[in-house]
Amino acid sequence: MNGRVIDEVAIMMSETDNVATVIDDLTEGRGLTVGDLVAVDNETITLAEDVPFGHKIALTHIAAGEPVYKYGEVIGEASSRIEPGEWVHTHNCESRRGRGDIRTEDGG
Amino acid sequence: MTGDYPTGVEGEDADGTRQEFMFEGYERPGGSVGVRDRVLVLPSVICSHVVADRIADCIEDAVSTPHDHGCAQIGSDHEQTERTLLNVARNPNIAGTLVIGLGCEHVQSNDVATRLDELGQTARELSIQDVGGTDSAIDQGLSSVRNLRQETGSGSRLAGPDELTLGVTCTDLTDETVERAAPLVGKLADKVAAAEGRVVAAGIEPLITHPEAAYDAVTAEATETLDVLLARHEGMPAKARTVERAARDRSFAAATRAWGEGPIQEILDYGEVARHDEGLAVIDSPSQFVEAATALVAAGAQAIIHLTDEGIPTGHPVTPVVKISGNAATCEALSDDIDVDATAVSAAEFEAQIAEILAGEQSRAEKHGVTDFGITRIGPSM
Amino acid sequence: MAEFTGYRRENGRIGIRNHVAIVPTSVTASPIADQIAADAGRPARATPHQMGTSQPEAAREQTERTLVGTGRNPNVGAALIVELGIEDVDAEALADRIARSGKPVETLSIRDAGGTRAAVDAGVAAATDLVAGVRDARQESADVSELVLAVECGGSDATSGIAANPAVGVACDRLVEAGGTVCFSETPEFIGAEHILAERCVRNETRERLLKRVETRENAAKLMNVDMRGAQPTPGNQKGGLTTIEEKSLGAISKGGTTPVRGIVDYAEDLPVGDGLVVMDTPGYDIESVTGKVAGGAQIAVFTTGRGSTTGNPIAPVLKVTGNPKIWDKMADNMDVNASTVIEGEPISAVGVRTYETLRDVADGELTAAEQHHLEEYAINELQPNELVDLRGTV
Repeated sequence: MNGRVIDEVAIMMSETDNVATVIDDLTEGRGLTVGDLVAVDNETITLAEDVPFGHKIALTHIAAGEPVYKYGEVIGEASSRIEPGEWVHTHNCESRRGRGDIRTEDGG
Repeated sequence: MTGDYPTGVEGEDADGTRQEFMFEGYERPGGSVGVRDRVLVLPSVICSHVVADRIADCIEDAVSTPHDHGCAQIGSDHEQTERTLLNVARNPNIAGTLVIGLGCEHVQSNDVATRLDELGQTARELSIQDVGGTDSAIDQGLSSVRNLRQETGSGSRLAGPDELTLGVTCTDLTDETVERAAPLVGKLADKVAAAEGRVVAAGIEPLITHPEAAYDAVTAEATETLDVLLARHEGMPAKARTVERAARDRSFAAATRAWGEGPIQEILDYGEVARHDEGLAVIDSPSQFVEAATALVAAGAQAIIHLTDEGIPTGHPVTPVVKISGNAATCEALSDDIDVDATAVSAAEFEAQIAEILAGEQSRAEKHGVTDFGITRIGPSM
Repeated sequence: MAEFTGYRRENGRIGIRNHVAIVPTSVTASPIADQIAADAGRPARATPHQMGTSQPEAAREQTERTLVGTGRNPNVGAALIVELGIEDVDAEALADRIARSGKPVETLSIRDAGGTRAAVDAGVAAATDLVAGVRDARQESADVSELVLAVECGGSDATSGIAANPAVGVACDRLVEAGGTVCFSETPEFIGAEHILAERCVRNETRERLLKRVETRENAAKLMNVDMRGAQPTPGNQKGGLTTIEEKSLGAISKGGTTPVRGIVDYAEDLPVGDGLVVMDTPGYDIESVTGKVAGGAQIAVFTTGRGSTTGNPIAPVLKVTGNPKIWDKMADNMDVNASTVIEGEPISAVGVRTYETLRDVADGELTAAEQHHLEEYAINELQPNELVDLRGTV
């Protein structure tokens, strides 16, 4: 697993990920240059809110129901539409309970 | 065990017993009296046991209780470990406790210390991760224990058998144990009970193999706890298989001879403190020495009598263990490890020996100093 | 460098340490084994445990397998088996099984010796002789492909899945590429991503066994009324940034690297040499897990920790890798490899290479922090009554 560090403040664990894990406490408004790492409209994404160390931010748009990728694998799905630069956590990302494509009714 | 109160040990005999078992003990906050005065260095998890051992090794009268638990346990298994550690620290032989944790485990050292404090015990804690590693932990721990030792310079006073909790465990039920050692111990247990003291027995194999007789042996108040015990062990393979088989082959009376006449006032969960005022209680523990002894210590026993045919020599860090064997060959082969040869001693001599231990004389196990500590697991590791 | 200097044993295996193991057959003999090792001095290492003198058959077999495997580990040059004399686990039988690996093995019965003090004295004398004997152990150059590396994570935090574990994963890939064996375990940690791990198994049989083992562990928790899948990530994990059990599990699995899973073995079962990535079915409980892998033959262990685990093992050196800069700083004496540089921008692959090189140095004789501090823990996983009940219905 060769993580790629973005602007020294976030790490992308695999090339196909659509989230990065922040490795510093980041504040709303902070810009990140993602360049050609992911498919976005601009080369930079802007943090929509404060995101603390160890938490994740979205690198692209993720539609509701679409998979969230980390380590090159599905770690859950968006429970509502997520914009680039938004904090990704239990409020908008739910587990598929690790059972492949079986979904739980209570949202994990 | 008839379920009736024993007769014939009243009046003058009871006075005699009281005299015989008076002991100069160490008074604790809360009024209990210990027969030893030790500072406990208690690792709350396996990962802090080396630090705890190192600290205790350096200070006289400090003991540590290293064990394999405190991590990766869930539910009732986790609760049992936590409860046991807490109540071991409350044993009357302990003057004060330093709880040592690593920091990331489930059984948190500061929780244990806080709880001890709430219960009126003198306690300190430290976490290896908080103080920056094992070297710092040992340094700070030594300092803490020395302070504890000074702080808890205890008053001593004379106490009688009514303040005694005597622990009993049989780790086998061979003829030697049942016919020779158990009668001596049972008689002593009856004397202590008649003098308003408490006897706690660890090892429930006789109860689960003879449920009907067990119901006759408990008081009305203890019946429900017997229901719970029997239900809990229903369908489960027993931990001490050999003892269970032996208990099944014998009568209930023979298998429980070492406990005295009873009746059983309460049945304790493993690791619980005994609550009954006087007489006999039984702990839900397997008849495996290290686990049974630890349960007895948690229950509040100031001294433990261990009936052993083969001569398991291990002691316990918190409480003097007196080894009694009905096997003459064992007594000869392990003469430095066995306190009482049941084939060669009278009831009076036996009782005098116990009284001496209470008064401060070291048991064989205390002399050789090899002790062990362990808690019964009731769930799988996660 | 693909080589190190180790101890060539009679059975052809290479050890990276040269211990005299003092192995008690039961909980009763354990404190005496401890005392013997303490009095005999450092090359003597005790493996005390809490297994009872009377266990149900399946549990007893597991205890015996673990003790035998520990004695057979190539890091052990000679062994002394200590018993009380009446246990179900027989010292002579264990000694025979260990001796088949070609090393000298003695036995000691506490009863026959005449009691505790006499047994300690006799044990120290025997251990001292064995220590003198192992000094002649043949040292020679060996290739890293002869290493069996145990991989463990404990005291995980937010940095584990993004720094320490992936870095160790790189080191594991390297060792597999060089022809060695890597063993990771802690089955409950696979829960959430077990289907992904299963896909990496080379054989269907392995895939099925893996999934079955995960299910068994989950069921064991259910018997205790705990829903492992539902309880993860914990509130503490979530506060640290972990959102789902899949994420947590993938972070844990990353420590084993990316190569195919070539097999799965039972707790303390023999691990193959030179066979790539292998899984051992163990609980997540670190001490039991490391003990199991060392009993399987792992000569060396690497252990990632975010919160600062300080544990070691009496038989195998345990390298600590942390991705947490505060812990690297605060607990420097107990850590070996700094993976927190990932947070400052050092590529994970570079940290992985550093870890690999440190592993090689430790194989070559360099002491880990735990070894320097004489920190050792040993515990045998015991099959509990409710696990035994469940086992009757499974393979």
